[in-house]
Amino acid sequence: MLNQISKSLVFKSNTVSISNSILKNSIRSFSISNIRSGSLTPNTLPTDTPVLSERPLSNVMDYAITSLDKAKDWARKSSFWPATFGLACCAVEMMHASAPRYDQDRLGIIFRASPRQSDIIIVAGTVTNKMAPALRMVYDQMAYPRWVISMGSCANGGGYYHYSYAVVRGVDRVIPVDIYVPGCPPSCEALLYGIFQLQKKMMSDTTGRMWYRSY
Amino acid sequence: MSVSFYRTLKNIWRNGLLRSGRQIAYMNDTKSGKLVGEDDFGNKYYETTDEDEIHMRTRWCEYKDFWRFDASHSEPGWHYWLAYGTDTPPNALPKDEIAIRHIAPENHHAINHTFTKGAFIPYNTAKPKFSTWESSVTPRS
Repeated sequence: MLNQISKSLVFKSNTVSISNSILKNSIRSFSISNIRSGSLTPNTLPTDTPVLSERPLSNVMDYAITSLDKAKDWARKSSFWPATFGLACCAVEMMHASAPRYDQDRLGIIFRASPRQSDIIIVAGTVTNKMAPALRMVYDQMAYPRWVISMGSCANGGGYYHYSYAVVRGVDRVIPVDIYVPGCPPSCEALLYGIFQLQKKMMSDTTGRMWYRSY
Repeated sequence: MSVSFYRTLKNIWRNGLLRSGRQIAYMNDTKSGKLVGEDDFGNKYYETTDEDEIHMRTRWCEYKDFWRFDASHSEPGWHYWLAYGTDTPPNALPKDEIAIRHIAPENHHAINHTFTKGAFIPYNTAKPKFSTWESSVTPRS
């Protein structure tokens, strides 16, 4: 009982002090959280600094490392070697990508048979509970950096088989997914659009710049 | 024969160095043909009737935004033409064949803003079906 009373008191006093501080200081330049540190002196916290990734390029090292990043990203996106994980009819559309009409070889995309040689895994089709451990194992065998394209409704969220007891409701329950390609099955054009989106994502990778700026 | 040194030289001669360079940069190929039309964004659509070109690779789009081009920049009607759905480009349609929409048309069709500041981020509006456990001791009476 006593405990509850003291709790409500604490709660009330908190609200009073917060509303007071809001009323009195219309422009608040310091933190009012009382759990930040032991000291009672209010700390001035600048709030208008941009995050590290959005700071403008400032010096020679920044320019150089950003250019190196771009070169690295360009190399990665230009040798786009996916491991195929065709599980259902989506795989047929995925095969179209390597056939002459869409001709992925002109883009530097080569299907690899081994996860150890590939950077990307395209999960095309229904992932069943029985297949899920195998998929996870294949994903774990891929070297860093690695990306995942989830192709089709079934891989995205179970799709037609969402209520089946034998199906994983989305491949993102097993492995982290970068690009979701919707459709049942998605056309080969849609898959290629997803691939281009992933290439865009690869190009926006700024690991080196972030490493430099964090020091 | 589609890709030959002669063809590349011919296309560079026809297109000029700058445009050929741009073409090589974003489609790894040089192409020359007739300008068919331009859409609201300023993307240009070309077609060639050259016999030597590969089947189904005779229509292409040169995007206005060279650095961040995206297939969603080309308008639906032009996309239909690009994918060989029709032989009549949208700017050559007779007036009675232009589709009239019942909702007011926008100035531009929606483009894909993924990986930009305008990206669509979904948020949940449904009431959560579960909540965190808050421990409380029931006072003994």
